[in-house]
Amino acid sequence: MVYKTKYIVYGILSSMKNFRKYFAVVILLFGLISSCTEDLDFDQADDIAITPTIEGGLVYVEAPEFLINQVASGTNFYSQEFNFDAFNANFFAERVLDGIITYEVENTTSKSLTIDVELLDEAGNVLDTEAFTVDPAPTAVLVRQITYGPSGRSIDIIKNTSGIRVSATNLGDNMSTSSIEPQKIILRSSAKFRMELVK
Amino acid sequence: MRNLKILLVALTGVCAIVNGQNKQLLYDFSEIPQSLMVNPGVESSFEWYAGIPLLSGISFQAGSSGITAFDLFANDGLDINDKIRDRALNGMTPRDDLSGTYQVEILSGGYRSKYHPENFYSFGIYNEGDAIGYWFKDLAILAVDGNADMLGRRFDLSHLKTRGELLTVYHFGINKQVNRNLTIGARAKLYNSILNFSSTGNDGFFVTTEGQNNILANTLNADLELRTSGLNEIRDILRDDTADRAAELSSLLTKRAIFSGNFGFGVDLGFTYKLSEQTVLTGSLLDVGFVYHSSDTRVVSLKGNATVEGVEVILPDALLDPGQDFYQNLIDDIENLIPFENVEKSYITFRPTKLNASIRHDFGEPVLRRQDCDCNYKTGSSRDLGYKYTNSAGAHLYVINRPRGPQAALTAFYQRRFGNIMSLKAAYTVDKYSFTNVGLGISIQAGPVNMYAMADNLLAYRNIADSHYASFQLGLNIISFGKK
Repeated sequence: MVYKTKYIVYGILSSMKNFRKYFAVVILLFGLISSCTEDLDFDQADDIAITPTIEGGLVYVEAPEFLINQVASGTNFYSQEFNFDAFNANFFAERVLDGIITYEVENTTSKSLTIDVELLDEAGNVLDTEAFTVDPAPTAVLVRQITYGPSGRSIDIIKNTSGIRVSATNLGDNMSTSSIEPQKIILRSSAKFRMELVK
Repeated sequence: MRNLKILLVALTGVCAIVNGQNKQLLYDFSEIPQSLMVNPGVESSFEWYAGIPLLSGISFQAGSSGITAFDLFANDGLDINDKIRDRALNGMTPRDDLSGTYQVEILSGGYRSKYHPENFYSFGIYNEGDAIGYWFKDLAILAVDGNADMLGRRFDLSHLKTRGELLTVYHFGINKQVNRNLTIGARAKLYNSILNFSSTGNDGFFVTTEGQNNILANTLNADLELRTSGLNEIRDILRDDTADRAAELSSLLTKRAIFSGNFGFGVDLGFTYKLSEQTVLTGSLLDVGFVYHSSDTRVVSLKGNATVEGVEVILPDALLDPGQDFYQNLIDDIENLIPFENVEKSYITFRPTKLNASIRHDFGEPVLRRQDCDCNYKTGSSRDLGYKYTNSAGAHLYVINRPRGPQAALTAFYQRRFGNIMSLKAAYTVDKYSFTNVGLGISIQAGPVNMYAMADNLLAYRNIADSHYASFQLGLNIISFGKK
């Protein structure tokens, strides 16, 4: 053990001369590979904007003509208030920039009808109203797009929407039945919104 | 959001300065004791060696097969959002990855058996970190562009594939010269996993289509799972505002580095076989093993299928319960169809197994060995190791098992020995990260002191920010070659 220790110490000391020589070679070799880097600008990260546009179905309501015939002409045959917390959820409300709600109303009944869609805040106050009047079948599908954001209605309407109320009124008679299938009034809707995920 | 940007910069920055898993320069570099760690069956001529604690073996490698920091952050006047779209979103594929590995030997040593000098034993402890993340292309497109105006476009959830771990490895190996032509070796390993995350078996899709009833339908078909161990306690410390986070994290990691409760076993196998006096075939299989995670585990999953067309009110059925919460019912239905589970559950992970194989031809003047030569171990105290030669050249194949299948690298190398004092090795490697990877390694034996240093992909150092791959290894050992 003593011998080995002496051997190590002696080896280290005696090799110092060689070591300097080879150390110089090592420095030379690795000096050759000393790195360079071209100009980078990490401040560009501040300009990164991630703004996806998401879309999906919103509300679908259908009512058959026999149900409409159960109420008198000019009478509201359906009114429903839904809880709808998707828009005022923090993740969405804090990031939404603008968007479009698309409505389609398809009427295959023999009646003229009106449908009102109201966006409500948490207290039940009406933030926005969209009214549709459709002629009796046969009639084209009514399509309407409502823009929210800088080029349309205030995006705050969407951010504060906590409920949706849909009401439908029969403007026609309550006796006739359409010959066009499926003899229903249908409200379809979808939402397409641009969000700022990184700002 | 700022943190996200910093993370993005950090990730791309890291990938610019490091890269790799392959130790092609160290492999079969028999002058260096750490070559036993990449082939336990390497020809070893040491009587004994002792690594300088924490300095005997340091390696750090990382790579990005896709973009570099330079691709995104070059001061080129282009809009960074355009660069992200062109070079990351449209330029990378789900097979592109960002990976990194480091290893630090805490203790290492080896000695030759006194009574069976053909046997050389080596042992030690090292700390290792390894992680890989594949480019989650479809999820990135979904995050950047969204799903609007992409009817029928399936966003593939299997693009999410990542794994990583931090562990301490205790090992003991034996290297045995069977005869003049054959040396074999094996190493047993006890893995102590400090932390682990794994999300590699994901499947499913997200698609937007025309609805059956409504204008649009969103369908999520998910089979997603993330398994972690050792992360919950870290998260708890980070969330505790009253804690001395640095001290507690340091204490926790030290404790887990010694004894985490998540253990595994593995083996390394290797051989060196002389096809002729000057032509040598070698091979090794490393980290054939597993870790059983049972402490501080968490398995998070999202599995199921659901199609949503919005809140649906179909009269007259809906009038049966006009007071119902249609929106909440919809949420509940989705949660029932695609349950999100977060449970504490044991699991097993397999180590990323590596395969090395090489063929080497020695030529030039024989180099005088430091120890006695040409003595049969059966009749003397030394072994018959044959000659080393001034020059060696050959080819090396490296394959590592990754979540998306084997990943290979092919190397051509040349080694030049300057007596017993210095040896240089140059290598050219082709792999998924680079076709211009030229590496250089040097080992210097100054008396009993051995010092080695190696670096990869040297040409990329001209602009390191644009490098897809870089790695280095270095170390310091005390070696005895026995009495001459």
